[in-house]
Amino acid sequence: MAGQSDPSLSMFSAAEVEFLAEDEMVEIVPNLNMDTLNLICGDFGPFRPQMATSVPLWLAVALKKRGKCTIRSPQWMSVENLTQVLEAERDSPAQFQPLPFHYVEISRLLFDNARDDIPDMYMARSLIEDIRDVRFHKFETGLEKISSSTHVVKLKNLSAMEVNIVRPFFVRALQAFAKHDSPQMIHHQQDAMSSRQTHVQDDGPRRDLRRR
Amino acid sequence: MSRYFDIDDIIMEDKHSTVFFKVGANGVGLLDPSAETNRVEQGSRVELPFWLANELYLRQAVSVNIPPCFNLKTRREIQADAACVDLRSRCPYFYELGCKVAPLIGDKTIGSFLLYAFMNRFKDILSKAHSAAFAVAPRFLPLLTKEEMQLYEAACSSMTGFKKWRVGGSRFEKASILGMKKRSSE
Repeated sequence: MAGQSDPSLSMFSAAEVEFLAEDEMVEIVPNLNMDTLNLICGDFGPFRPQMATSVPLWLAVALKKRGKCTIRSPQWMSVENLTQVLEAERDSPAQFQPLPFHYVEISRLLFDNARDDIPDMYMARSLIEDIRDVRFHKFETGLEKISSSTHVVKLKNLSAMEVNIVRPFFVRALQAFAKHDSPQMIHHQQDAMSSRQTHVQDDGPRRDLRRR
Repeated sequence: MSRYFDIDDIIMEDKHSTVFFKVGANGVGLLDPSAETNRVEQGSRVELPFWLANELYLRQAVSVNIPPCFNLKTRREIQADAACVDLRSRCPYFYELGCKVAPLIGDKTIGSFLLYAFMNRFKDILSKAHSAAFAVAPRFLPLLTKEEMQLYEAACSSMTGFKKWRVGGSRFEKASILGMKKRSSE
């Protein structure tokens, strides 16, 4: 249990996840003339006034701060789409809806820096908060179903920030379950009557990883 | 051996457990407060710290009893309602000690008992660790063992980190030493 005594179990801080999110591409409408930017990560431009281009988020935010562009709100962040996603989240208690991997970070960056570029900002913001709450609540109810026979947990469509929040807790919890359910602890009970149930769980650790 | 330097491990092994000496031992009358001479008789009942009991068991000099935290009373309480049992006052290293003690004593049910207890407490308490409001939290906290506490704190710290980030604020923090004004030396 190498990580048990270490409280910071190889966790990204929220700011670091945001940093990784800034590589996502967004559409901007520049209002300046600039030649192509040749960067290591790619070539962006040339920037002509009123011609939309696709740039990474960090570049978009930097340009916006200097007043050189307006950011076009991404497709998935329209109020209709978000309302649909929220309805779908509420209707399906076991599944997460597909959302961009970094939707939390992207939305926060855009709200902070590009307020005037997003139509219906307050509505969109509250919708995103609601979506986040519903998803997190789903995750918590899913937690209660983890039993000792869980070897792999598959969570589809979880976003980067959500994964980061639950990572330390989840890893430790699974470690603890594995420790208590290991064959050494329980194997000598295979003859006992009451272990009929535990016998099924006993096969688990010896097989390859399989879905729950 | 990787746990040799682990502080939690050291503290945990300091727990006392009763042992029965299978052989007589000379020169260690200190261990048994009721010994008249400086030796421990065969078959006498002594309280030893766990690390000592473990070593003596490996040398087949003693037979170890169940530590008091795993007795029938605790088991009944856990079967009644696992989440409310105050494991920390019994033994803050409940699970760890159980794992270590299981091969020593002849009791084979400790493993599944630990698992049962942990699963139930996990369901009730720890799955709410993430979003536990500040008012609710203190009710559960004194009941948790060290390992559960670590789980809980991991969840809490990641949640607070996220909330702090969400509120916003500057990306760069000025190092505090730059803000200190120079003081004229007295």
